[in-house]
Amino acid sequence: MRGGLLRDLLTAEIRRRMSYRADFWISAVSSLAVRLAVAWFIVKAVFEGSGRPVVGGYDATQMFFYYVAVILVGKLVQSTDLEQSVSQDIYEGGLTRYLLYPVPYGLVKYVQQLGAMGPAAVQIAVFAAWIPLAFGWPQGLTPGGVAMGIAAIAMANLLHFLMTFPIQLVSFWADNVWSLMVMHRFASALLGGMLAPLTLFSDSTRLVLEALPFRYLFAFPVESMLGRLSPAQWAVGMLVGLGWCGVLSILGRAVWRRGTFQYTGVGI
Amino acid sequence: MIEVTSLSKTFTTHRKDPGLWGSVRSLFKREKVIKRAVHESTFQVGEGEIVGLVGANGAGKTTLIKMLAGIIHPTSGDARVLGFRPWERDNKFRRQIALIMGQKAQLWWDLPAADSLLLLKEIYGVPDDRYRATLDYLARVLDVAGQLTIPVRRLSLGERMKMELIAALVHGPRVVYLDEPTIGLDLTAQRAIRDFILAYREQNRPAMILTSHYMEDIERLCKRLIILREGEIVYDGSLAGVVEKYADHKVVTAHLRKDGSVSREGLERLGQVDACDDVTIRLRVPRGRVAEAAAELLKRYPVADLAIEEVEIGTIIERIQRAKGEVKP
Repeated sequence: MRGGLLRDLLTAEIRRRMSYRADFWISAVSSLAVRLAVAWFIVKAVFEGSGRPVVGGYDATQMFFYYVAVILVGKLVQSTDLEQSVSQDIYEGGLTRYLLYPVPYGLVKYVQQLGAMGPAAVQIAVFAAWIPLAFGWPQGLTPGGVAMGIAAIAMANLLHFLMTFPIQLVSFWADNVWSLMVMHRFASALLGGMLAPLTLFSDSTRLVLEALPFRYLFAFPVESMLGRLSPAQWAVGMLVGLGWCGVLSILGRAVWRRGTFQYTGVGI
Repeated sequence: MIEVTSLSKTFTTHRKDPGLWGSVRSLFKREKVIKRAVHESTFQVGEGEIVGLVGANGAGKTTLIKMLAGIIHPTSGDARVLGFRPWERDNKFRRQIALIMGQKAQLWWDLPAADSLLLLKEIYGVPDDRYRATLDYLARVLDVAGQLTIPVRRLSLGERMKMELIAALVHGPRVVYLDEPTIGLDLTAQRAIRDFILAYREQNRPAMILTSHYMEDIERLCKRLIILREGEIVYDGSLAGVVEKYADHKVVTAHLRKDGSVSREGLERLGQVDACDDVTIRLRVPRGRVAEAAAELLKRYPVADLAIEEVEIGTIIERIQRAKGEVKP
């Protein structure tokens, strides 16, 4: 795919997202500010309720910053509502136009997902800027950690797309894959460290989770950013995550090939 | 440019009984229904030709177009468009075709058309100068230059359709499929789209297949007609030919002066009486007896005006579509 096309697809999605100004700011407030407030109360309740100063290797402040980071990272990784975009294209016949274009559909959708990250990044910048002022500088946050975290977020964004792509392609056979997506979302949140840090799981469970792709969606980028991983652990994690990207990419291609054979172009 | 050989497509769907019990039952067992959408279709379309593809809803028009555009795979048979098998979706093939769907927007809804067109320029790799020249020409001919910067969702249906046409043609396709391009448009917009298609055909000579339920589209744009009935081609020939083949009569209409008195019995030996009152006589007269019937009317009645017309093409097509077996001329 040519560079000009990538740029135009990317910016088109950013412009599309920003064309609804009210929705842009409402979603920023609702999905970030509200979730941050919820995180604050959960952490407070957990630590006050247990009476322990450290839970799963985190003190109350570290735990709060973990939740803050995982909310922000989650927004970048999941890129808002594009999770349903592929299945909607198939279900409503929007895929037709992409089949006519001389460009790979999967790549177009991924670039659109990246484009959707742009406005999410603006929202994060606006709402995250005041967090250090209100709660202090997060412990362990260093330039090196931030760099590792950014690379991990980029990998996680790709991994998230490659995980949801084959699931959404099930729409070629089933009328609705909403339940599959909910299952995926729940599994990702639980096993990926969005609901709670993975250090709360037992050692043996953590070993299994390190081999599965979910951890690399949220917990891994957050742990990288907050300086909880050594460079060696980070490098191994990146390799495992990218390995999953490769496996899922092959799976996605296979499902796509079978699915387009089934496609009936509904709605036209 | 388009060669279709014994192309067939069947769809498998599932039947679900109505009501709550039907929904519960369908969770465990579904009845499979196989629907034949297109059956053994064979035809060719040459450069610069516009072929009208007509048929009732569900006759298989859109399915046929979807196969020829490479959107769906056929069940059997073969087709070559510009030498390519469409459903293999070779990029060289996709760069040379366009599909315009009157019922499905292809432009990005939230963006101005100009943004979508720039995106399409990149998707199809159209050089800057050619893009600019094509866009200027299309926007001028369709009279939408002033609307290019307005978000598509805010355009009228007619303006949106014109933008869809520009979007489909901006890369200069050699094969164009038009699936009901004038559906829902007012008469002025319909006329503008038809004029544009004719002008575009003259200038660029693409092969075009047009489906429409508006007979005026077919009559104005197509010299050749393919009629589909339940997935099968029942007629492939000239527009004039379908009238000659399937209409064995002409319509003779006489408008009388007020003082005329008309006897229905006397008229029935001239032809089938469709209308008969003090001011109007309308007869369906066998082709070979039209002159005789006209002369008889002029002789027997105080005729103020006399018209001899072919049966409307829409009526003929409707008759063909309704018939189950062979349609007798």
